[in-house]
Amino acid sequence: MFRRVDPTVLKETCYIAGFVLVFSAVMQLIFALLGSWSFSVLWGNLLGGTGAVLNFFLMGLTIQQALGQSEEDAKTKMKLSQKLRMLLLVIVCAIGAAAPCFDLVAVLVPQLFPRIAVMLRPVLDKLIGRKAE
Amino acid sequence: MLELAIGIILGCCALGAGCAMIAGIGPGIGEGDAVGKACEAIGRQPECKGSVTSTMIMGCAIAETTGIYALVIAILLIFVAPNTLVGVLLKAIGQ
Repeated sequence: MFRRVDPTVLKETCYIAGFVLVFSAVMQLIFALLGSWSFSVLWGNLLGGTGAVLNFFLMGLTIQQALGQSEEDAKTKMKLSQKLRMLLLVIVCAIGAAAPCFDLVAVLVPQLFPRIAVMLRPVLDKLIGRKAE
Repeated sequence: MLELAIGIILGCCALGAGCAMIAGIGPGIGEGDAVGKACEAIGRQPECKGSVTSTMIMGCAIAETTGIYALVIAILLIFVAPNTLVGVLLKAIGQ
């Protein structure tokens, strides 16, 4: 399955993973500045960040597979995939909340990083375009 | 009486979490429709598959966020709000 990953999906996942990494570093720094940093924050960040990137990668993989199918099949596949990915995130967040070795805030905040990365994409593309010119 | 109040708090938190997760239904429908239409577009113009895939992934990531917001609120309502609210209640009645 992983040998046939579309280069577009890989590229976008790498982009999101890079941003999650940068934002995670910023979050760790903020925790350290506030004086509430501990290893539970680091483990929570790792769990939440991994969950967010995995969710994005699985979404890309589903889109790649769905685009080769008929419209109705693609719709059904995407809906099922979304439900299963949401379940994955629920499990990740529940583990983060229940296990004392994870900080809940550090688990939940990285779930929002991919959205911020997507929002910053046009700005980044513009900057890269200007530099190339 | 205190047990009843705590029970109401726990029940309301669970109900709130359940209501929040209703928002998790929307992204699935939206993503399904968008991908269905993308399939149609690629069927008409197969040469633009790469750009359609890229746009679809970004669009679906944005659509997915609504569900993730709901999930975050639901998790906070289940795991954080009950302790906080019970603490506030106990403080208010002086226990």
